[in-house]
Amino acid sequence: MPARRAVFTGLGLLTPIGSTPEAFWASLCAGTSGIRRIQRFDPSALRCPIAGEIPDFDPKAIITAAMKDTRKSLNKMAHTIRLGLCAAQLAMTDVGLQKGQIDPFRFGVEFGCVMAATDLEDLCKGAQTSCVGDPPEVDYTIWGRQGLKQVPPLWMLKYLPNMPACHVSILFDAQGPNNSITSTDTAGLLALGEAFRHLARDSADFFLVGGCDSKINPVAIARHSLFHDLVHDQPADPTTAIKPFDAARNGTVLGEGAAVLGLEELAFAQKRGAKILGELVGFASGFDKGRTGTGLAKVIQNALRDAKISPADVGHVNAAARGSRELDAWEARAIRDVFGDVPVFAPKGHLGNSGAASGLIELAASVLALQHGQLPGTLNYTTPDETCPVNVTTGDTQPIAKPYAVKLSVTDLGQCAAVVVKRWES
Amino acid sequence: MTNRKRVVITGMGVVTPLGHTVAEMFANLLEGKSGVGPITHFPASGFPTNFAAEIKNLDLGKYVSAPGRYDASGSNTHFALAAAQQALADAGLLGSGKFDRSRIGTYLGVGEGAEDFSSVLAACSLSVDATGYKVNQGEIIGHLSRLLHGPREAEGEMNTTAGHLADEFDLGGPNSTTLTACAASAQAIGEAAELIRHGDADVMVAGGTHSMISPFGVTGFNLLTALSTSGTAPKQASRPFDLNRDGFVLGEGSGMLILEELEHAKARGAAIYAEFTGYGTTGDAHAMTDPHPQGRGAIRAMRDALRNAGLQPHDIGYVNAHGTSTQANDEIETLALKTALGDAAYGIPVSSSKSMLGHLIAAGGAVELIISILAMRQGVLPPTINYDTLDPLCDLDYIPNCAREKPGIRHILSNSFGFGGQNIVLIASRY
Repeated sequence: MPARRAVFTGLGLLTPIGSTPEAFWASLCAGTSGIRRIQRFDPSALRCPIAGEIPDFDPKAIITAAMKDTRKSLNKMAHTIRLGLCAAQLAMTDVGLQKGQIDPFRFGVEFGCVMAATDLEDLCKGAQTSCVGDPPEVDYTIWGRQGLKQVPPLWMLKYLPNMPACHVSILFDAQGPNNSITSTDTAGLLALGEAFRHLARDSADFFLVGGCDSKINPVAIARHSLFHDLVHDQPADPTTAIKPFDAARNGTVLGEGAAVLGLEELAFAQKRGAKILGELVGFASGFDKGRTGTGLAKVIQNALRDAKISPADVGHVNAAARGSRELDAWEARAIRDVFGDVPVFAPKGHLGNSGAASGLIELAASVLALQHGQLPGTLNYTTPDETCPVNVTTGDTQPIAKPYAVKLSVTDLGQCAAVVVKRWES
Repeated sequence: MTNRKRVVITGMGVVTPLGHTVAEMFANLLEGKSGVGPITHFPASGFPTNFAAEIKNLDLGKYVSAPGRYDASGSNTHFALAAAQQALADAGLLGSGKFDRSRIGTYLGVGEGAEDFSSVLAACSLSVDATGYKVNQGEIIGHLSRLLHGPREAEGEMNTTAGHLADEFDLGGPNSTTLTACAASAQAIGEAAELIRHGDADVMVAGGTHSMISPFGVTGFNLLTALSTSGTAPKQASRPFDLNRDGFVLGEGSGMLILEELEHAKARGAAIYAEFTGYGTTGDAHAMTDPHPQGRGAIRAMRDALRNAGLQPHDIGYVNAHGTSTQANDEIETLALKTALGDAAYGIPVSSSKSMLGHLIAAGGAVELIISILAMRQGVLPPTINYDTLDPLCDLDYIPNCAREKPGIRHILSNSFGFGGQNIVLIASRY
């Protein structure tokens, strides 16, 4: 039996720099940044009051009145979960798969997502009832007896990381494998890799693979401000704040968004005449103890071996670099070890760090780059740093000819994931 | 299918309300003991349900050399470190540099629950706006910044447990974490086995860890009214398949298994507990909480797992049920078992460990697979306790109240179903 191959047949995007593939690509090429002063709430109390915020997200424009049940469920979903569901709807429209064209048990869903922070209005009344003293502290006896009654019954389910995949499966009657990976910044690529393996071993024919995340709410951003390496002394112009691989980089900026890809077994896609955007050919993940670069290099090599190609076949690397002094240098060492002088593009300069959504949003940039034969410049890269010895793209787009790209994701603890994608040539 | 790599289980470890070793836990289960009691982790007496099966007296220093590194970590990480250390030691795989560590990975089901819920509530109360119904979002950030503890919040990120395990035990291979509610650790085990079958790793530390016995978790589950409210007799509250069941009882803990490629295990002379043979995974595509009324996803997952293992229903000698003690789960799981296994269902003993351990949520599937493997190896099946009154809709053999000897079991099946519709079925076989 010939190997079962996996191709991308649709793309749904919700990002700070565009919520269609065309708009997203145009912003990447034009060097448009999505980073701005936060507008969703007053961010004055934050040391880093800027973020990559989606300016125009309207779930009701995507989940239309005709989708009655789903629309009713929107109020049981946190913002993050709405992002994932809406991106899936956009992707499915692009995919063009109709009901009846697939056995529901052969339709899988994989998401990268983490627990969303609570909406404060859900807790507001109960907190007032139950907090006593000065400074106030919650009395759990009062909370249990009275406060609880002032919280919506489905409260916890609004925020759970498996809810995007749950709602997406209900909307599209997807009864196949259904998983939600929560490994923060590597979650999206891990979800994609797992769906890739499912297709290869014939346990499904089609997957919606997504990532969604938003830290742009008061609880999440207050939490992350305490431990995330966010930029301090941010410049007057927020669009220059995040500088992947640059000598002057001094931290990252939080972002938000969602990307959902249709991933489909090749013969199945061809049989229904699907439009093919690119091919997924390799995947690996691992852990780089001490972030030396050795473990990450090994993960990249494993992904190349899975794709049955050599480093010289790769035309660009799409890096996770988020403007962190240490993490960017770690990643650069591994890229240099494996590839030498390959062009490296780091999309977080445009987007900020959207956590569990980042891997697949950024992967979309490489799928589009391979389609267009052009690679965007990395935003705010002006001064090379000897601790980051890689060939970072800068300025205008540059032509790329080789058919393969490698996308990396890493976490600050040392978890890493790599996927290899190939330009589609029919 | 025929030439795929085979996966065996070469190590197991647990932290549970009925014991912090596999042997102690299993002995207590065979005696039909309950781990349930009043919640002591925080003052919970005001909640409608204020009892659970808690972990007590876990000494992290027994398992890692520098427990202070994990002072800011939550229970999820503490439980997981202890269970993983036991499993790795059991398998003879402890120790940096032993074997190719880049071929040893981890895949965990890790729960939520590390949030500093008390500080969020206090900050809310300080930031109410003039309407009394809304929080001033700009203002609360300042309060939260002051009240939250940075290192603890960092530990609340969902990748930390798998990251700490990889770092502590030198696991350079694939590293993943899932949270598909109550199915998570079973799903982690199934996908970890597939990583080995595909050749992505030789060994996986697979399992789960979770505590929802926290203000956050107890609040969330009380609100869902999924918990038993039989507070007068907490030890009798979890009564899966009994007519008078009224909800589940929270438990907490961790279960970890060492999954290993067969030839790798043989080459190093490892003792083999069982072979991992079958994995089925589906989504209900039905609702956020309720299972599909005909159990269609559960049925398909059981059938897929049997096909994956190359087995027929009558090959299965014991089923460890999801068996939560909710009206809906137990009724629909029974229906699904009868549909998926056909006539064979009435001849296969089924029990729910949740009657004794409570519901370990994201950790449940892993602990229950370990229990099933022990039952197969020792030829004695743990009971479903608190089973008094027949429910006409639940008419299988649930091993009521007393453990039962059943030598010669060759294959066991373990069900795990999650809120959100994920159905995971695992099969292990005598090696």
